[in-house]
Amino acid sequence: MKSRRSVGGRFLIALTFLFLYAPIVLLSVFSFNAGDSSVVWKGFSIDWYVKLFQNRLIMESVYTTLLVSILATVISTVAGTFAAIGLFGLKRRWRSPLMTVGNIPTVNADIVTGVSMCLLFAACFQGWSVFARWLNGVQDVVELPTRLTLGFTTLLLAHIAFDIPYVILNVSPKLRQMDKNLIDAAQDLGCTWMQTFRKVILPEIRPGVVSGALIAFTMSVDDFVISYFTAGSSTSTLAMTIYGMTKKRVSPEINAVSTLLFVTVLALLVLSNVLEARQEKAAQKKLMLQKTTEYHPVKPPRRAPAVTKRVWFRRAVALVSAAALLVVTFALATATSAQRVVNVCSWGEYIDTDLITQFEEETGIRVNYQTVESNETLYSLLKSGGGDYDVIVPSDYMISQLIEEDMLEELDYSQIPNFSLIGEDFKHLPYDPENKYTVPYAWGTLGIIYNTTMVDGEITSWEAMFDEKYAGQVLLINNSRDALGIALMYLGYSVNTTDEEEIRQAYQLLSDANDKGVYQGKVMDEVFQVMEGGNAAIAAYYAGDYLTMLENNEDLAFVVPEEGSNWFVDAMCVLKGARHYDEAMAWINFMASTDSCLANLDFIWYGTANTEAIEQYPAYYAEAYGEELDNETFRIIQTPPETLERCEMYLVLPKETRDLYKDLWLSLGV
Amino acid sequence: MKNKSRRLAIPYVIWMALFVVAPIVLMVIYAFTAEGGGLALDNFTSMGAYLDVFLRSFELALIATLVCLLVGYPVAYCMAKEGPRFQRIAMALIMLPMWMNFLLRTYAWMSILENNGLINQFLGAIGVLDLLGVDHIRLIRTQGAVVLGMVYNYLPFMILPIYSVIVKLDGSLLEAARDLGANTAGVFRKVIFPLSLPGILSGVTMVFVPSVSTFAISRLLGGGRQMMLGDLIEQQFLGGAYDPHLGAAIALVMMVVVVVCMAVMNHFGEGEEQAVML
Amino acid sequence: MPKELIRLSDCVVKFDDEIILDQLNLYINDREFLTLLGPSGCGKTTTLRIIGGFLAPTSGDVFFDGQRINDLPPNKRQVNTVFQKYALFPHLNVYENVAFGLRIAKVPDGEVHQRVLEMLEIVNLKGFEKRSISALSGGQQQRVAIARALVNRPKVLLLDEPLGALDMRLRKDMQTELKRIQQELGITFVYVTHDQEEALAMSDTVVVMDGGRIQQIGTPEDIYNEPKNAFVADFIGESNIIDGVMRADGVVEIFSRRFQCLDGGFAPDEPVDVVIRPEDVDIVSADEGQLKGTVTQVTFKGVHYDTIVDFYGFKWLIQTTDYCPVDSHIGIKIDPDGIHVMKKSAYSGMFGDYSSYSEEYDEIGDATMAPGEEDSGDEE
Repeated sequence: MKSRRSVGGRFLIALTFLFLYAPIVLLSVFSFNAGDSSVVWKGFSIDWYVKLFQNRLIMESVYTTLLVSILATVISTVAGTFAAIGLFGLKRRWRSPLMTVGNIPTVNADIVTGVSMCLLFAACFQGWSVFARWLNGVQDVVELPTRLTLGFTTLLLAHIAFDIPYVILNVSPKLRQMDKNLIDAAQDLGCTWMQTFRKVILPEIRPGVVSGALIAFTMSVDDFVISYFTAGSSTSTLAMTIYGMTKKRVSPEINAVSTLLFVTVLALLVLSNVLEARQEKAAQKKLMLQKTTEYHPVKPPRRAPAVTKRVWFRRAVALVSAAALLVVTFALATATSAQRVVNVCSWGEYIDTDLITQFEEETGIRVNYQTVESNETLYSLLKSGGGDYDVIVPSDYMISQLIEEDMLEELDYSQIPNFSLIGEDFKHLPYDPENKYTVPYAWGTLGIIYNTTMVDGEITSWEAMFDEKYAGQVLLINNSRDALGIALMYLGYSVNTTDEEEIRQAYQLLSDANDKGVYQGKVMDEVFQVMEGGNAAIAAYYAGDYLTMLENNEDLAFVVPEEGSNWFVDAMCVLKGARHYDEAMAWINFMASTDSCLANLDFIWYGTANTEAIEQYPAYYAEAYGEELDNETFRIIQTPPETLERCEMYLVLPKETRDLYKDLWLSLGV
Repeated sequence: MKNKSRRLAIPYVIWMALFVVAPIVLMVIYAFTAEGGGLALDNFTSMGAYLDVFLRSFELALIATLVCLLVGYPVAYCMAKEGPRFQRIAMALIMLPMWMNFLLRTYAWMSILENNGLINQFLGAIGVLDLLGVDHIRLIRTQGAVVLGMVYNYLPFMILPIYSVIVKLDGSLLEAARDLGANTAGVFRKVIFPLSLPGILSGVTMVFVPSVSTFAISRLLGGGRQMMLGDLIEQQFLGGAYDPHLGAAIALVMMVVVVVCMAVMNHFGEGEEQAVML
Repeated sequence: MPKELIRLSDCVVKFDDEIILDQLNLYINDREFLTLLGPSGCGKTTTLRIIGGFLAPTSGDVFFDGQRINDLPPNKRQVNTVFQKYALFPHLNVYENVAFGLRIAKVPDGEVHQRVLEMLEIVNLKGFEKRSISALSGGQQQRVAIARALVNRPKVLLLDEPLGALDMRLRKDMQTELKRIQQELGITFVYVTHDQEEALAMSDTVVVMDGGRIQQIGTPEDIYNEPKNAFVADFIGESNIIDGVMRADGVVEIFSRRFQCLDGGFAPDEPVDVVIRPEDVDIVSADEGQLKGTVTQVTFKGVHYDTIVDFYGFKWLIQTTDYCPVDSHIGIKIDPDGIHVMKKSAYSGMFGDYSSYSEEYDEIGDATMAPGEEDSGDEE
């Protein structure tokens, strides 16, 4: 299409590019920020890049992303090409419906593909589990693992499944365009089927294969949703890692990794464009030459000599990158396979990460440390077959529920000598009356965190959570138990009530406030960033996290409201069928030691059940910071008995009540 | 040859049965059963409670799709008019963000839209906020932010198919239309637009489907305060309200509604062509 | 005296530094069937596009009915075009394609209906109204394209190689058909082709072009019988073009031998190009011949033999019904009206030697060129 190019058109295109690139450029600029803000410039630094390369989680997920994308691309390109040829050989009557069915993944919403795959894998795992238990029961020769989980294999399968149709869609038209006689001609000249494929079909359909591979790769790299539902917890693509991080405190390392990705892709594009331009120039030169020497100017032949050069260059690049990939894969595979591992799942900002390093150094056991948002999310993840964990740290009521559903393994306390350090008050609690399954990790209270500069006076009541005065300034906690619990407490009911009427009243309270726009959003670990940044006035959250936030924003205050609150214990448990039981015991024992508890207490500011640790903490603090521990702070860490009196622990609710919670919770977002 | 290549289809058909058909069959089974097994329609009967979520999702996705179309079409059109070098570079630039993950692209907007993020800081610096007497304009965790996120992420999906249709338009068709008396607007209305309909349709599909089912964008930019369909489904599988049966039912209904929408739209698209004919 | 309808005066078209049209002057009369003939890249399509309004000349003027129309867009011109590959709208059916121009002009529905049906009848496509374009054969598409242009009752119909994509048989039929339609409707046709046979068969006037210049304008007979230079002589039909010297009016010397001819008006002893058509040469016995030569190649062509004869190192093509075996010595005789004398031109010496004769006539080789590559030079 040739016609006049308008200035307005160029302006529009420029504007679109500005829109598309401004955020990315900003991201890149702030990746060089000395501070950790994405808004305020505090000087140039490459710290975040250094940190990025030290961040195992991000680096591993980049590697996973590349590996799964490349493997899926290669496999689906080969499989898709052959499948397309196979389909092409079929009669139309068969081909059309098969193509239609095959295209389902490309037209379906990602989330539908994702959850349906998730269901498939979960069903397969269930089937396998039954089979493995049976087989392990009838013979002793082989011991099959009874619990399979989502992981790299399922992720790869899912990627291949949604990549293949794109390859077929690109290859099929080329097959249709191909002269049917070519195949006959090749066979007439003595080619076997394989030779025909290599020497005749492949060269003809190559553009389709290449573009199919390119699209498959793009789709794989860009995918988040399907990976999210099929990768489980132990495997994480970059997108999943970032999604996980955005739920917590967002680290500028993300800016750095984005910038690096962007620059890499940009460089590749520029390179390919330069090559193409050069080739074009050569072709043009040839054209000019022909025009001057020949009587009839004709178009240049399609393959100018420059092209051959480029093909060689391309082949060289492909070879080098393939070799590099192989080496990296091999190196990583050998590095990880032989090692002892323990998979731990906890909450965000809930550990002093130095402890992980320390544990790894002491024992040689590698820790895959993952976090989830809430007890309810953890439960979903486990149920969906996604939780490839050994150790989890659920809260009291969830522990009861997991025990009830036979999802926890009994602990071998002989391997956990440090259990003796746990205070008697924290043993035999209602959630684990016989203390067979748990070792307490930390405990605390729920309360209101508020920004003193943004509210009038002191807040003492849960009422603030429902007050229209603070419309758009309140953050609702994003789990059903705490959110409804707050409302129940405000109404003066027990948090463990099973009275439907009371619970519905509590829901109504939340729902009305939500309708009036009181809540800015539902948050879990995002709360740190939002509250520290002064982007919201009030949030209900946990005492220890308040102290963490206080370090970054002095205007914050914390209160355990007068109506009372919840006190909770998070305890370490081991999942049924855990693959690394002994390693799990080692980890639990390590985390229960006094040294670990002290370090952790100092870092997360949650109460500890280790009696020695709590006694030694003031001294530890004085030594570490060279000043006395503020009594007020200590009271928040180790909630005093008079406050605890007002607090109630969550107990596991009967199934009907849990279902009611679930329904009401979902309705709240409606 | 044909016989031999036909055999290549067999592994694919098996693969398809396992990884395309089986998951969807399973989803249907889940949708029609209750926890613990047994046929049940509860999942569908209780879905009325989520009507608002359906409406909201479709509304926001529709707005995002419209915005994408209104912005994307002129951009694609103008791009197709440019020289080949310009076109190649522009295409590359539009594709480029797609190679960064879509979550990164969404994340990029978070710090910009925060209450004390870049836009608000800027507005404060130039005095707009004082003028309005507020200390910030709420941008993030609003429906507008969700739509913005959708448009930002999916705009290339609208531009590319439309562009590729327009750029392939036979120039002689446009000359023919002018030759037959059509002015610039007439050429556009009677020839370019109807001929670019396939591109528009595939663009609309490619923007609408991911928009209506997103959960990451609404979570990151919408704050999860008002759920979208994607959030609702995600909640039932990996979120705070585990219930794969209800989740599967909602996903199934969404799938059916989307398919019906697309079918109607495609039909409408053909109808449009016929309208031009008559 | 026919009325002049279109005039191009001093038209120059340049793309970058390349001159596509060089000072073109041309007028076209009302109701004339004028053909622009030339090899690809000669500027014929460019000329057509200037008339159609798709291209403005870099310099020079275009007049239509005495009005300067340089800046008039195509949609405002009383000219319609049949495009090379028809350019039918794929989203419209036959009826709507034909009605397109009328609808743009907001012609009332009743009249549209009547005119479209009438036109479809003229092009023998009655009953095809509802067909989709993709369901038509090449010849049928061709007819739709013609109907679509003609239904608007243009003063001038421009046809850009309209028969290029059709096979031999269909081309011949369509040639007759086009001529019939032109005469029936009595409008001006400007026809672009590289096929000389087509040009000679259909046209009132042929314009032979090459290198962005008009080489000759004339009736088909003029062009064939009295080519102005070696290019035209070679491009139209087969010719032996030999260097000669004009000794006097009616006397030309070739190979140091004087021949009687009908041409005159040259300076004494002026070097000239002499055209001798292969069919104008009679083969006689070696003794009786005005020139003597040796047969080097004979090809049977059905009605005649193509015989290549070597005269003093210069090879002639002779078309004769007499069979002369290879290596036989023969003589030839040429009647005065079989000799055509032309002034020397830039093309002298480039054509007319059959030393590298192949059995393919060169213009047939030209005609089988892929239509897509045709004229690529004009447009770029």
